[in-house]
Amino acid sequence: MKERNFLIKHSVKIEPNKVSLDGIDVLLSERYNTFLSDIYHEKRLAYPKFFKMDILCKVGFLATEILLEAENIERFVPRRDRSIIFCNKSSSVSTDLKFTHDILDLDNFYPKPSLFVYTLPNIVTGEIAIRNKYFGETNLFVMNDRDDNVISELVEHALMDEEINSVVGGWIDAESENDYEADLCIFEIKQ
Amino acid sequence: MHDRVVITGIGLVTALGNNVTENLHNLTNAVSGIKQMKFLVSEQKQFPVGEVKLSNQEMCEILDLPYDCHISRTSLLGILALKEALKDSGLLDTKGLGLISGTTVAGMDITEQHYPEPLPPNKPPVHDCCSNTNFIADYFGLFDYTSTISTACSSALNSLILAKMLIENGVKYKVVAGGTEALSKFHLNGFRSLMILDENPCRPFDKTRSGLNLGEGAAYLVLESESSAKERGAKILGVLSGTGNACDAFHQTATSLSGEGAFLAMNKAITSAGITPKDVDYISAHGTGTPDNDSSESAAILRLFGDDYPPISSTKSLTGHTTSASGSIEAAFCLLAINNYFIPQNVGYSAPDENCIVPFVGENTEDLKLNNVMCNAFGFGGNDSSIIISRYE
Amino acid sequence: MELIEELKLKMIEALNLEDLKPEDIDNDAPLFGDEGIGLDSIDVLELIVLMERNYGIKISDSKTGKHIFSSVRTMADFVAENRTK
Repeated sequence: MKERNFLIKHSVKIEPNKVSLDGIDVLLSERYNTFLSDIYHEKRLAYPKFFKMDILCKVGFLATEILLEAENIERFVPRRDRSIIFCNKSSSVSTDLKFTHDILDLDNFYPKPSLFVYTLPNIVTGEIAIRNKYFGETNLFVMNDRDDNVISELVEHALMDEEINSVVGGWIDAESENDYEADLCIFEIKQ
Repeated sequence: MHDRVVITGIGLVTALGNNVTENLHNLTNAVSGIKQMKFLVSEQKQFPVGEVKLSNQEMCEILDLPYDCHISRTSLLGILALKEALKDSGLLDTKGLGLISGTTVAGMDITEQHYPEPLPPNKPPVHDCCSNTNFIADYFGLFDYTSTISTACSSALNSLILAKMLIENGVKYKVVAGGTEALSKFHLNGFRSLMILDENPCRPFDKTRSGLNLGEGAAYLVLESESSAKERGAKILGVLSGTGNACDAFHQTATSLSGEGAFLAMNKAITSAGITPKDVDYISAHGTGTPDNDSSESAAILRLFGDDYPPISSTKSLTGHTTSASGSIEAAFCLLAINNYFIPQNVGYSAPDENCIVPFVGENTEDLKLNNVMCNAFGFGGNDSSIIISRYE
Repeated sequence: MELIEELKLKMIEALNLEDLKPEDIDNDAPLFGDEGIGLDSIDVLELIVLMERNYGIKISDSKTGKHIFSSVRTMADFVAENRTK
């Protein structure tokens, strides 16, 4: 395998019935419909904005909360040395379709602004930056299929910025409300 | 010396024209392309838009493509601009190029015609952002690396930034980068729901500004290492000398009052170019014409440049806000400004606003020489980017 | 139902204030900013949609909106005076 310029500090995976941290299952559930809200309550996260988020942001928010909790350093201190680099394949399609539905019903034409703001895939990187006060680079790349080699290259590129020492990055995709996946890591530059 | 990343070709299609020459003509004469909508089918006729003055069928004819109502307008605009860029740099027959394209709307124009029916299965996929890039790439058959960036209105500028990284790190020698975006009912209604569209022509930085006009278009720049350009004797139009991307970390769509993200991005761009704010001769502002963007961008500019800031203008009152394509369209305008010795006018400005910078509306002087130009593009999600383009000497 | 209570329920639904119950919203507390329930600029737009949809009131400028939505009581007063449905 190609030598990379980073180390993986922690990794988290969220699937519709399972959360694992550093490869170990930490939460299992059969309550598919409420799984994400259940994680929110279980973790006692006091961040009401969570309920306004679309599916992609909810998954990204919860995954990074678990990841950053594991990191166990002081949080919510403004920092410029961390980037967010995500890749996905479904862009923001689940919310796009909902919004399209809203604007095509001419008898009931009330486009929802709160829906429209989530019709961009990179809002998830923004939401995480807002929550954690990260002012570094944020980017969302869309690819046909998951390619871990490309993801690693993009993370390496981000770490070449002299100001950046770590990246929260990886794969995050939500095709629909019930079909989503986050596989994220904290990447740190090798000293 | 460090091998610089230079620009050797431009392709441009906007409401100002279907190629570089037409764009340059209308840009220097400050003739706006914002009109009542003609091609976009929408009930929201009260909003003027910056449409490209070609129907999809006309574009297919120009491109020798069989007219097919399932080809997205975003792809057609992209192919048109990309073709001109490749021709301009003399690479129309060169294989092994990289393509990085920014888009967010992609094939939404086609999807929304069918919705709620699924897209026809016997047609190539056009909806998502990468299919759009790949469709464009396949038209030429020259690209062995494609990448799609979707960070809303900073997408195309981020494409240029990624292209520079790839070249500097020896991943590719020649990369064509930019963005393309067509108007759609989808985002027109979305911007309307955010109440940031103006029913009159937009007025960036003006006290009476009350929103933006949407536009569409595409622009690609050919980037390559200086040694590669010299080796093949390409004409060099400028140097991509500095880049910066930062997050505003404030709100999904609104900008922070202090413009923190914009400040950080501009500062990074200047630092990475190895210059100081005093060396910047012109700023092509993001300047959408919304009350929030223009005051926030002004705050960031004043913080970085002080009261003695260089001439600044927004060209969005000429083209409309071309969203994901705006970064490369305006970077192309910057190159035209450098090579043709002019500063684009900030059309529509008349009343100063105490919360904003005063944009450039004066006459261009004979001895104008732009050495370093800054180009900004800020996206929803707080994704803010800035680049420095320098004169090649 | 009293208009003020009805508005609270509709707000909770429209703004996805899942953690809140009507009694948690004080009639006179500011809806925006750090006090009160901390709504943001997208919530203003969502409230404008709510006014149009439920009461037939069109508000064309989000700045005016912000004034009307300073508390549940100001909202209720405005609805009572201007409703067309």
